[in-house]
Formats: sequence, C-alpha cells, structure tokens
Amino acid sequence: MEVNPIVIIGALIYFGILFWIGWSSRKASLDASDFYVAGRKVGPFVNGSALAATYFSPASFLGLPAFIFIIGYPFWWALVGIIGGMPIATLLTAAPLRKYAPTSFTDYYEDRYETKWMRLAAGIPTIIGGFAYVILSLVGTALFMLAILKINFTFSVILSAIVVFAYIYYGGMVATTFSTAFQGITMTIASVVAAAWVIGYYGGLNGLTDAILSNNPNFFNPPYANEVASHKLVGMWTGVIGFFFTWHFGFSALPYTVVRFFTTQDIKAARRSVFWAVVVGGAMYAGLVIIGSGARVLIETLHPLMQMDTIDSALGVLSHMKTEYGVAGASVTDYSMIAAIEAFQQPFLLAILAAGGLAIAMATAAGWTMVLNVLLGRDLMGKVFGSPLPEEKPVLITRIMTVIIIVICMLFAFKPPALVLDISGAAFIVILCSCGPPLVLGIWWERATKAAAMINILVMTFLSCFSWMYANTVHGSAHLFFLNKNIVTPHQFYWVFVGFFFFIVLSLVTKPCSDETIKKYSLDLRPEA
Amino acid sequence: MFKGMPKIFWIGMATMYGWCFLFMFLEMTIQGFPLIRVLGIPFCYIYNFLWVVNIIVSFLYFSMEE
Repeated sequence: MEVNPIVIIGALIYFGILFWIGWSSRKASLDASDFYVAGRKVGPFVNGSALAATYFSPASFLGLPAFIFIIGYPFWWALVGIIGGMPIATLLTAAPLRKYAPTSFTDYYEDRYETKWMRLAAGIPTIIGGFAYVILSLVGTALFMLAILKINFTFSVILSAIVVFAYIYYGGMVATTFSTAFQGITMTIASVVAAAWVIGYYGGLNGLTDAILSNNPNFFNPPYANEVASHKLVGMWTGVIGFFFTWHFGFSALPYTVVRFFTTQDIKAARRSVFWAVVVGGAMYAGLVIIGSGARVLIETLHPLMQMDTIDSALGVLSHMKTEYGVAGASVTDYSMIAAIEAFQQPFLLAILAAGGLAIAMATAAGWTMVLNVLLGRDLMGKVFGSPLPEEKPVLITRIMTVIIIVICMLFAFKPPALVLDISGAAFIVILCSCGPPLVLGIWWERATKAAAMINILVMTFLSCFSWMYANTVHGSAHLFFLNKNIVTPHQFYWVFVGFFFFIVLSLVTKPCSDETIKKYSLDLRPEA
Repeated sequence: MFKGMPKIFWIGMATMYGWCFLFMFLEMTIQGFPLIRVLGIPFCYIYNFLWVVNIIVSFLYFSMEE
C-alpha cells in the first residue's frame, strides 16, 4: 500500500477550495454578531448544506458503514431513523428558535428558566458531548489522512489537529457557514460517487445483493423471522428500535445543529434549511448504505492486502492496518469503508472519498468547537462569571479556547476510547435526555419549570453517563441493558423517553415560571403567535 | 402541551413512524421479507429509497406553513 500522488492532489484541491472560500468570506466578518451567528444572513440552501455538513460527522461517514459492515441489514434502520428525525426539527425547534433569535444554545435556558445558572447546568452535558465529538472528528480526520499519506496514526492525529485548528482559526461562523456548505456538497458527492461505483461494479442492485449473500448468507436477516439474525445486537426488536432512536431526535435538540437555525435570514429560511439538509444528507446516507453493505465482500475479493498469506478475511485486512500504522483502540474497524473503496485500486475514487471524509470531519470539528468556544467563553466566562473579555475580544478568546479544546481532544484521539459511532451515540443520549426535555417542552409547554429543568439536566446526565459506562465496562458493550445483559438497549437509548417523562412529572409538582417569561419564551415563539 | 403546533406536524410524524414501524414489523414476522423481489429488485431497497418519505414530509412542513 503506497502513497498515490493523485489522491494527494485530490486532497490538496479540496483544501485549496475550502481555504479560498474561508478567506474570501472572512472579509465579511465584521463584529461579534458576524462572528457568532454569521450576521443572520445565510440563505436556505447554503444553510441547509452547512447544517448537513455540521450535523453529519465521521460517525456518519465512517461509523455507519462500519456498523453495517459489523451488524448487517437491520442496521439500515438506524440511518432511516437519523434522516427521519430531521424534518421534525422544522416545526419543533427550528422555527421557534429562529423567531427567538439567540446567539448561543444556552441563551434559551437562561431566559426561559429565569436563572443564569441554567447556562452552567446545560453546559455540563454539552461539554461532555462536545469534547466527545471533537475527539471523534479528529479520529475521523486522522483515518483519512492515513488513507491519503499512509503515515503512522499518531502523526496522522497530530497533523489532523493542526489542520482543524488552522481551519477554525480562519474565522467564526461566517467563514465556516459558506465553507461548511461546500463541505456538505463535497461529502454528498463523495458518498454518491463511491456508491454508484460499487453498484456499477456488480452490475446493479441485484448483483450487489447476490455478492453480499454469497459472502454472508445472514446479512439480510432481521430478528424473529429467521433462525439466525444478522448479528446478536439486532437479535431482538429492542436492538433494531434502539438503533433507530439513538440519533433520531438529535437534529432537533443537539446544540451544534440548533445554532445553525440562528444563522438563517428569517423563520422561512430556517424551515427551508431543514428541507435542504434532508435532501443533501439523505443522498449521502443512501450512498453510505451501499458502501457499508458491500464493504466486507469488496475487501475480501478485491483488496490487494488479501494476497498476503497471513490474511484471509476483511477483519484480517483491518488488523494488518492496525499493526502497520499503529491505529490505537477500536477505531481500525472505522477504516472498513475506506478499505472497501481502496479495494477498487482507483486513485481518483479514493481522492474523492478522502475529500468527502475530510470535509465531514473538519465541518463537525469546527461546528462543535464553535459551540464549545461560545459556551466556555461568552456564556460561562462572560454571562455567568462576569468577565467582559468574550464580548470585547471575541476572536482572541475563541482562538485561545480553540487551542485548549484541540490539544485536549488530540490527547484522547491518540487512543480512541471506542468506535466513532459509539462515541457519537453516547454523546447524543447524554445531551438528548438531559437538555432535550427543557428545550422542547420549554417551547411547547407552559408548565415547564425551573426546578424541573435543573434537576432533569443534572440527574439525567449522571444516569445516562453512569449506565453507558457501566454496561460498557461490566457487560463489555454499551449496547446491553446495564441492569440485565440479556436485553439489547443500544446506547441505553430509553433514557431519552425517561427524561421527557421525568421532566413532565417534576414540572407538575414544582413552581411554574412567571407569566411574562412564559408568554415571551414559550407562547410567543409558537407559529400561532 | 404542543398547543399551536400545526396539524401537518402530526400528519408528517404519523406518516414517517407509520412507514418505518410497519415495515420493521413485516420484516420481523415474514421470513425473507427484505429480499422479496418487487420491480425486479429486493424489496428492502425500495421501502427502506423511500430519502423520499422524509423529503416529502420536510417539503410539506415548510410549504404548508408558508
């Protein structure tokens, strides 16, 4: 496996276009409003493409095909669940939050629940999820750097951290909204072109299906209807449903997408942004399904490493990559989709895929780093603890925060704690079950109370983190119910529903907010108002 | 709760969840359901392409509101 100049040229062209867009749009960045929310002047298609690029991460681009590679067809429903959750955001949170027009994710929590300490409470799960996401983005960037340059994984992580830092250094949301939109288009083209190549190679969907079945006869087996399901994690209905719901509500309530609703021109553009994000993201996901499904048979029949005497399976190829390039932790399985496309030995195809992979990883790293910057700088330093620096020198504070965030995440990325999709699932569940109910019901239920919001965030953050880590360490998998390892509950997904129920019960027995607050931050944000 | 939410929201939600859970149920009760040939290709490629349901729901959400 040698470095191919065409792949490097492809990556350099991608970086060239990206930094040109960043540089030219940077000139438009004039004040703090421009820096944080792009001056609220981004149209629906651009914002929708940027939404897709930010929301979808290496957990999508590498992680979803890797899980299809491991689990088989029933995992396709997880992808349907993710895209199916996107339209919900249109009316549930995108339009109301654009009407309210805050600067930061935590603004709503302080205003709706009448205390600045809500910023700190909402900040805890957001910081946990944010750091997890920057780590997995660095791992994703590093795996694509490895695919392009064939360098040791540790050097690859360091190089990725430098590239991501340089990208964010170029500016705030103005630079990253327009260049992120370009990244959204790039990642979709990469996925669709690679999938079309796979389908074309097998002469259509029937040929692809026959090849998959000849390699793994159980691949298309859902539970119950067949003697053997495709994998033990989808051996019962809770596994299929659990993977469907793990990421399902993320688009409505995760801070790194919610902030993109703030950057649109108006409510109409916010609603239309979601439509374009579904179009762009759905096309990319359709491609990922094909790549993930064909990965094992492609690697085992075409990959050049299969010619080695010591390698006799796709997992053998990945193990070889792990040893050869020093890929630490579990993340070598995330390389399966790259290995599948490498198997074609077409440099231009790998160049397109690498550009798409770098695009999605860098966009997510930038999106989450901006969320953490605003949260740690403007919100906690400025609003909670009273420092004037974040408002006076937003660029300087952002750059200092960025250095700290990237360095900490780089140290974790050297030895990833889990597969990128597992890191993502944990982050989603922690944030959704804790911050989700106070956000969604704060808008749509007058009775939502301050005490309920505070208690819900703290209790659900603890329960979701504890149960995920307990299942992962004691049962050996975060996908098994932490109280009974015979039940499959991917990522302890049930906490999202428990969180909403818990929040409602707490709100009914605690004191509601003032009538003025309810009118301004709940009733007036709804479409009827 | 959810007072003022447009009716189209609930119609869209019911469509999306109805579609997904109906086909999940059929898969788990009928052996070989995903691979039944429909229009000459395995059925799962059609019901699991149908992107389309979410695009339609998303389009209805913004167009009906406007």
